[in-house]
Amino acid sequence: MSVHSGQLQTLLPRESLLWVFAAQLVVLLPHFAHLPIWLVFAWCIAVYWRLEVFRGRREIPGRVVKLVAVSLAVAGLAMTYRRWFALEPMVALLAVSFTLKNIELLSRRDAMLSLMLAYFLAATLFVFDQTIPYALYGVFSLLVITAALVAQQGSGSARAGRALGLSAKLLAQAVPVMLVLFVVMPRLGPLWAVPQNTSAASTGISDSMSPGDFSRLSKSDKPALRISFDGPVPPPEQRYWRGLVYTHFDGRRWSEPGITGNRWAGRRSRVRGEGEQSLPAVGPRYRYQVIQEASHNPWLFAMATPHSGTRGVRTTDEDTLIYRNPVGSRLAYDVRSWPRDSIPAQSQLSAAELRRHLQLPDSGNPEARAWAVARRQEGMDAEAISQALLTMYNRSFTYTLQPPALGANTVDEFLFGTRQGFCEHFANSYVFTMRAAGVPARVVAGYQGGEWVEQQEYLLVRQYDAHAWAEIWLPERGWVRVDPTASVAPQRIRDGLQSAAAEEFMQDAFLPLHKIPFVTRLRLQWDMINYRWYRTVVSFDAERQEGLLRRLLGEISPLRVAIFLGTPMAIALVALLIWLKLSSRGPALAPADRVYLRFCKRMARAGLPRNPGEAPGDYARRVEREWPALGLMVLRITLAYEKAAFADDTGALKQLRRLVRVFWPLRLSARSGISTNSLPTSAR
Amino acid sequence: MQKIISAIVDDIGKVLLGKEHQVKLALACLLARGHLLIEDLPGMGKTTLAHALAQVLGLSYKRVQFTSDMLPADIIGVSIFERESGQFRFHEGPVFSQVLLADEINRSSPKTQSALLEAMEERQVSVDGETRPLPEPFFVIATQNPLQQSGTFVLPESQLDRFLMRISLGYPTREAERALFKGVDPRAQLAQIKPRINTDGLRKLQSLVNQVKASDSLLDYLERLVQHTRQSAECGVGLSPRGALALLHAARAWALIHNRSHLLPEDLQAVLPSVAGHRLQSDGTDGTQLVERMMHQVDIIAA
Repeated sequence: MSVHSGQLQTLLPRESLLWVFAAQLVVLLPHFAHLPIWLVFAWCIAVYWRLEVFRGRREIPGRVVKLVAVSLAVAGLAMTYRRWFALEPMVALLAVSFTLKNIELLSRRDAMLSLMLAYFLAATLFVFDQTIPYALYGVFSLLVITAALVAQQGSGSARAGRALGLSAKLLAQAVPVMLVLFVVMPRLGPLWAVPQNTSAASTGISDSMSPGDFSRLSKSDKPALRISFDGPVPPPEQRYWRGLVYTHFDGRRWSEPGITGNRWAGRRSRVRGEGEQSLPAVGPRYRYQVIQEASHNPWLFAMATPHSGTRGVRTTDEDTLIYRNPVGSRLAYDVRSWPRDSIPAQSQLSAAELRRHLQLPDSGNPEARAWAVARRQEGMDAEAISQALLTMYNRSFTYTLQPPALGANTVDEFLFGTRQGFCEHFANSYVFTMRAAGVPARVVAGYQGGEWVEQQEYLLVRQYDAHAWAEIWLPERGWVRVDPTASVAPQRIRDGLQSAAAEEFMQDAFLPLHKIPFVTRLRLQWDMINYRWYRTVVSFDAERQEGLLRRLLGEISPLRVAIFLGTPMAIALVALLIWLKLSSRGPALAPADRVYLRFCKRMARAGLPRNPGEAPGDYARRVEREWPALGLMVLRITLAYEKAAFADDTGALKQLRRLVRVFWPLRLSARSGISTNSLPTSAR
Repeated sequence: MQKIISAIVDDIGKVLLGKEHQVKLALACLLARGHLLIEDLPGMGKTTLAHALAQVLGLSYKRVQFTSDMLPADIIGVSIFERESGQFRFHEGPVFSQVLLADEINRSSPKTQSALLEAMEERQVSVDGETRPLPEPFFVIATQNPLQQSGTFVLPESQLDRFLMRISLGYPTREAERALFKGVDPRAQLAQIKPRINTDGLRKLQSLVNQVKASDSLLDYLERLVQHTRQSAECGVGLSPRGALALLHAARAWALIHNRSHLLPEDLQAVLPSVAGHRLQSDGTDGTQLVERMMHQVDIIAA
């Protein structure tokens, strides 16, 4: 103990220690969800050890113990993550150092260090999530950390109410600064690309489609896209948000060669360069912004023939958009779409393309093939065959969310057997049959429809809006969208899944909340708040910042930015000054006091000020002595004041006002005679 | 009423030359129903002032010379067994009078000093489990020697707080002293003083004190003074609410003596050193100096 006695004298007091631990807990709590569990234990042990040290039951760990702890922690990190340069290990490293700091938390300086680190760790929270609850939690963390900092000042300020109150006051004062900085702080791009967490599973359109995929999606009401239009809005039957095109069929699964998992690779990386296919100079029909939830896939969603000016977004040969990385967090992108009929059709499909879009497995589904060949032999052209197929769907097929299971020949069994299906069944059978009839066709997966939120502010597309449809190649018109589902269940396209599937919709939901209109409205409201939050706060990037500054300032020049920054600051300072002045003056002065003070001020200017604490009567007698010329007048004023202020005589107040109005010491004394005599003795 | 007051002041002024301010303070103290502590060196006229006050107000007067071997019973009284009646009979001590002059109060032991406590505050004494009221009005005028003098016991704060005012007389001016040398023996003068007022008149005067008006502005000033004593680093202990009330009460009496129906800041300032001086504590410096500084630091009008 003697070794550490010097240190013990400077040990942190109990309150400081507890506050530091509280701040640590608050900061680490949301991180516990994704940090390894052993780190939680490590933190608990470190805190326990430190408390034991405080109680004097244990010594401060020596160098050996610390070394062991550090190596254990580093080994633990290495074992847990097996890679270093990713986001999670980095945050975990920060948390570990934060934790280990506890066992050498000795002086006030250490506490400060730990708390500063806590601020940093609180900020890393937003790497993982940027939603409103997390933002609120972030504010709460700031409150607690700042309170802990306040508490370091000593016993009185360590009381919870006082520390938190002061902390809240400090934070409230920082709000204007925060707002200004939010607007003007340069938005730096990421300094290095931090690999995002890619293992997370998520719902959404995947890289392939097999029967049952979409009915699974239809059970999720998670938001997928939020789309706000700038200008005209497409009618419901045009709202096809294309994501992926599948051209390869292996008898059961539709997929796209070159896409595996969430990687966009192989020959499909050949994307259309800027201006390769010239988009018409006349403006696009639709302009809109899509905010896409994290899908962990690179493909984006847009209406046909899209073009996006957002960085990192490219257009592919299939008229879809892809992003340079898998979308790991919410992504906003601007899209302009030209409807297909407004641009000249592509004249010819290359041989390779043709082959690709006519590909079928070597065997299987003989009935469907036979049906297609028969139609062909009847001399029907592509459009006629398509029409015949759609008519067949319309007559005798049922749209259901719970289709019966299909065997090996999915198309045959569906077309000539069960005749009950979901969009993927229709798309699947349609494209298969068209290909069998020699018409180039492909499956398109994406979302269809959407729900207006808050008077058409934006369109909310949920996972259950996921949809699959088809596109066929007609030589004179190019790619044409055909939605076989529309011929079975037109209300699915017009009004969405909920009205099309009615009873079946969200049947498995634990609580049938979607049936309560109030809850539905509430959820839409909440979604809208989230949407606005994202649009105004989270997606406020360099581009929008520049736009806002341009709108505010006209042009962005250093002078204007300086004025923009300086003006609120100057206003704030002036306001502070006024406030200080007002608050230091205490309660408002009584009218008599005010008038009397004016009199005192005039006397002071004339060279005979009232001393602090001098009673009016004494002052009057002094004036009479030192400046006889004024004596009588001053005496009258003083009497009137005394009556007004201390005898509550209202008549006296009027008299006092009248007297002081005409009271100008120098003028009065000049009028009354010889100048030297009339000056105060002290001023001579 | 005003005539009576000025007559009282004049009468005492004949005995105690050139001490008009102190005389008025003492009178204000009594009008405010407070007890008075006069602190000065021996021979400055403490006893004379007390005696003159009692006489001019027409009150019964007893004097106790405090000594170090005095016991509480010496002041309060004692029950004595009387053989003829076969019972204990209470013999009243000097405390049963309208004016009690406790001379050199700090010469007695703390035990005896504190025997006065109940009498002063409650205006009653308890002997043998029986509570006996003291005559009305009841004033204690105590004198004490400066503490540096040998053989004195310091009055505890609680007891000091019982005194509304502490005044000291100080040396007379040259003129006053010359007049003293030339004039008649003060003791002879003292004997000639006639009561100017009876008990009812005094009671009436005392009730008039309560009618002196204190405006909001003045109470603000009082509040700021009191707050200053509580917040200033100079003052070890601030003024208690009782101290603040005492200040207000004494100032009212002062205003009445000066024939005013409302309080002025001057009234507060006039009584402040005597009322607050012994209640404030400061390390080293005298409380009175502290009060003087305070009056310069706290302005009459909050600015």
